[in-house]
Amino acid sequence: MSESRPYLRAQPRHWWAHSPYRAYTIRELSGVALALYAAILLAGLASLARGPAAFETYRQFLASPLSLLIHLLLLAAAVWHMWTWFQILPKTMPKLVWRGRLIRQDVMSLTATVVAVVCSLLLLSLFILVGAYL
Amino acid sequence: MSTPNDSPLPKRTIAPLFWLLFGAGGMLAALFGPALILATGVMIPFGWGLPQRFDSYANVLALARNPLGKLVLLAVIALLFWHAAERLFLTLKDMRAAPVWLLRWLTYGVAAVLTVVTLALLLAIGF
Repeated sequence: MSESRPYLRAQPRHWWAHSPYRAYTIRELSGVALALYAAILLAGLASLARGPAAFETYRQFLASPLSLLIHLLLLAAAVWHMWTWFQILPKTMPKLVWRGRLIRQDVMSLTATVVAVVCSLLLLSLFILVGAYL
Repeated sequence: MSTPNDSPLPKRTIAPLFWLLFGAGGMLAALFGPALILATGVMIPFGWGLPQRFDSYANVLALARNPLGKLVLLAVIALLFWHAAERLFLTLKDMRAAPVWLLRWLTYGVAAVLTVVTLALLLAIGF
């Protein structure tokens, strides 16, 4: 047993739902929303394995208003994930020096976010290109 | 490799492995997540800018039977699960929602099971 008895400040029960921790909670849960998207893809894979009829049911669900609502919410979560992910990035990596000058963290975040937006736009362009040939 | 108990070196753990999966999933989602969700969840099902035949049974089966397609599907699905598992584990741990060992099983354990399920489905679909 340790002899030290450090003072532990009492914390309110739902501290994570209040400022300033709320932003942190929302950021972490936006990452968790991505698992729901993965689960939707996995459900598609499972129905694909079961055959054409099951896959058609899955496609009908995807074309329903409920699915659209879910995907729009997931899209918002994914965009928030992208934004916050690159806000954290400079804080988790070593300092970057270019030509003897320290690169500012906000510049790094902004650059990475622009790269991510370009990546998503390129993927969408690829989808549209493939769609035109299907 | 093992380190003696009185070693001044930090104890070796497998935490970096989870951290790596978390980082890979987070980066994948940050770079391509919005486009993927927009395409598969909004544009293709409703035919907005992308043809609905994009995800016809034959086309998706061809993707899932292609080795490279299999790899992409596994990477996207599994890494997103591992990313979410890490974030959910740390958040629930901070909230003191349950004992840490239980939280580990509920997050990393579920991600591991779903990874195996994805792999099994991809193999069952065949080549």
